[in-house]
Amino acid sequence: MPSADVVVIGAGLAGLSAAIAAAESGARVLVLAKGHAATHWGPGGIDVAGIPAALTPREGIRRLADQPGHPYAILGDDVAAAIGWLLPHLAAGGVDYVGDLDTPLQLAPTSIGGTRRAAILPAGQAAALSPWAPGERLVVCGIAGFKDFWPEAISASLSRERIWEGGNRPASVSPVSATLPGLAARHNLNALEIARRFDDPTWRGAAIEAIARAIASAPGSGGRVALPAVLGLREHAAVLAAMRQRLPAVPFEMPLVPPSVPGLRLYAALRAAVVRAGGRVQVGEMIERVESDGRNVTAVVSAAAARSYVVRTGALVLATGGIAGGGLLAERDGRLREPILGLPVEAPAADDWLAVDAFDPAGHPLERAGIRTDAELRPVAEDGTPVFDNVRVAGSLLAGQRSIGERCGDGVALTSGWRAARSLAAVPAGHAAAPGSERP
Amino acid sequence: MTIAELVMSASEAAVGYSSDECLKCNVCVTVCPVARVTDLFPGPKYVGPQAQRFRTGRAQPVQVAGIRIPLSPDVTVDYCSGCGWCTTACPAGVKIAEMNSQSRARMKAGKRPRLRDWGLGQTDLVGQLGVLFSPISNWALANRPIRAIMQTTIGIHREAPFPKFGRRTFQSISKRRQRRRGTAAVPGPDRAVVYFHGCSANYYEQHLADAAIAILKRNGFETIIPEQVCCGLPLISNGIYTEARGRAHKNLDVLARYARQGYRIVGTSTSCTHTIKAEYREMLDIHDEDAAVVANATWDICEFLLDLHEQGKLDTGFGRLDEDLPYHAPCQLRSHGIGLPAMELFALVPGLRAADMDHDCCGIAGTYGMKKEKYPIGMAVGAPLFEKIRASGATEAACDSETCRWQIEKATGTRTRHPIEILLAAYRVADAVDRAGREPLAAAGA
Repeated sequence: MPSADVVVIGAGLAGLSAAIAAAESGARVLVLAKGHAATHWGPGGIDVAGIPAALTPREGIRRLADQPGHPYAILGDDVAAAIGWLLPHLAAGGVDYVGDLDTPLQLAPTSIGGTRRAAILPAGQAAALSPWAPGERLVVCGIAGFKDFWPEAISASLSRERIWEGGNRPASVSPVSATLPGLAARHNLNALEIARRFDDPTWRGAAIEAIARAIASAPGSGGRVALPAVLGLREHAAVLAAMRQRLPAVPFEMPLVPPSVPGLRLYAALRAAVVRAGGRVQVGEMIERVESDGRNVTAVVSAAAARSYVVRTGALVLATGGIAGGGLLAERDGRLREPILGLPVEAPAADDWLAVDAFDPAGHPLERAGIRTDAELRPVAEDGTPVFDNVRVAGSLLAGQRSIGERCGDGVALTSGWRAARSLAAVPAGHAAAPGSERP
Repeated sequence: MTIAELVMSASEAAVGYSSDECLKCNVCVTVCPVARVTDLFPGPKYVGPQAQRFRTGRAQPVQVAGIRIPLSPDVTVDYCSGCGWCTTACPAGVKIAEMNSQSRARMKAGKRPRLRDWGLGQTDLVGQLGVLFSPISNWALANRPIRAIMQTTIGIHREAPFPKFGRRTFQSISKRRQRRRGTAAVPGPDRAVVYFHGCSANYYEQHLADAAIAILKRNGFETIIPEQVCCGLPLISNGIYTEARGRAHKNLDVLARYARQGYRIVGTSTSCTHTIKAEYREMLDIHDEDAAVVANATWDICEFLLDLHEQGKLDTGFGRLDEDLPYHAPCQLRSHGIGLPAMELFALVPGLRAADMDHDCCGIAGTYGMKKEKYPIGMAVGAPLFEKIRASGATEAACDSETCRWQIEKATGTRTRHPIEILLAAYRVADAVDRAGREPLAAAGA
């Protein structure tokens, strides 16, 4: 039976942050995940607290921390430190981020012609955030044959004042389309295929020329150009640098429907950081159950070919996601279940599931469902006492947050992952460190 | 019984209906090694769960209002290499690779298979003939004009890697040894295992079978080598399920007798052991008790050795191997869901600097990369791996699967061995040090 000091279940931002931090502290770390999800679906930014009432992420954190039961009530003070810790890891993996907790939240235009509040974005998207100068134009440049990005529709929508909430916005928005070498005849183009082509320096050169010509056909000069988020996968930094140099407008990427190229870059950088720190990541592991001695989880069991794969462990970080990620399952009887440890789930009564308008700005009651923990992120029973001593819960599985509506999901994920690992490292030998010492 | 079950087998339904779980999120597309390098394959989502709703589940194409409905709405499914990465990465549990294999088999059912695809599946026939005429067959496979003719006539690429046939099959070598030794009592399941050598060790890499026997013996296990045939995977990969079932039943008949007595079945080919563990049931729809008993008793050899180690029973007296060792984990190993046991074993060898190359697929995917039309795809899939191995400057590399080893060796010129051959070398270093330490003393004593 293989063994680890810390097993992390889940390979999203929370799980991988926990894995990096635990491996850095010297633990033997194994990440088990059933597949890829949040990173590959999301826009690749780090949303900390994009609520309308707050001017900066820091203010947003403070406001959310005041909500009873919000994860920021126990994590809020650590968000800055966790981001400060993670960003250098991502930069080492070739993904630079711009912004911090005191950067004013701005409205970044999106690829469906809306806007979203953001402050910390990957370098490729960050040019969307600076305030629009008087007279500054925005060109939206599509790629002929690519159906996940419609410059006409995006431009038409972004030309409406109310999309920008009546505030600072570009003076004009105009659509153009570039015909890139070898793509126009394809019917099945996805973002990833185009991104991989951008990695090739020769193709990239010709493509950038075509984009420069398309931008030149738009009225006005200078300003910024929004492009679909396909600007290279492994060579993104080089693509961005070449574009900044050659294009007549400052380029930025708009995230698209999955597969998300910025998300793939983020995942690659996170995974590389886990491996650099000495941890391992195994995807394709369907966790069946855990073994425990009542107070501590002692082994994690996944469904391998023919037999169960049993990993003995000193500690467990549960970062399996919320309802969308499969960390919580909805039963037909109107109950939510946490399938791996059978933890108590804090959830609204079944009647409330259907009681509200799906687009109610206050959110849907189910969004806040999740696992309640103590300040050490240990899952607790209804009376507030920890259910397990060596288990920590991280990410969107935590109760009390509206990770999308409050745009706090990334901040909660990375801070709780980081904190979970630090909390486990503080557990005295005899629990978390014991299995490692048995090995030669 | 539902209507679907009338026209589909149980496992086809289980695999086929898993497409209902598909979110269309494209995660599978992001991990597909084939879609990464060629436009000929649109990716697993498009030919798998997306195309699945058009599939009729029938054995023959049907005519609807005069229009012929083909069995697969997307014939490019034939460009799937079967590496299984899509199934591994899917967050919703869709059996994408399995779905693609089944629809390829459906597409080919009722038609005579291409001579080449049939031939690539006949590993026993090719192996027997190749070994019988080994001087000629090895000469022919190394002869460039003959390989050019093979490419034109049967469609096996002229540059595709082929190993050399041995002069005798491992089965015949082992039978001769048994005759010489006479009939000794076979030890019980705590001191003996059944060895599934597979086609590669039987026809090409007899030294690997010997390495397995030696390493198992060193750890206290005698080796039982029963009659066995090809596991059937090359037939499954080429969409020839009926014949594959025949192979499976032959093996199960023999192996189940041992498994029921508590013997474990240990294999050196990670793709054979995965076929026995998973595909007999999932793909070939064999759901009898034999299949379950045998699957449960089957171990990949590194998995077996690591299990011994975790129980404190592995001889860890490895000598020092001061070398860099690039390691490639085969796709089939990932489908076992057991991590990378070879890397954990390498960590026990003093001085050995094993490095996981962390690359998805070498491109050969069994027999995929040998085919004329797929060879360039396979080489492009493996290119970053080959580059990493070359750049490492190592003199040898390691990999658990034979066809991957041949592909890597051919593409990089770097000798590529099974992990247990490396471990055995480390044991031998320890033995040599022991002897060197003893001999002067013995001489002094005399």
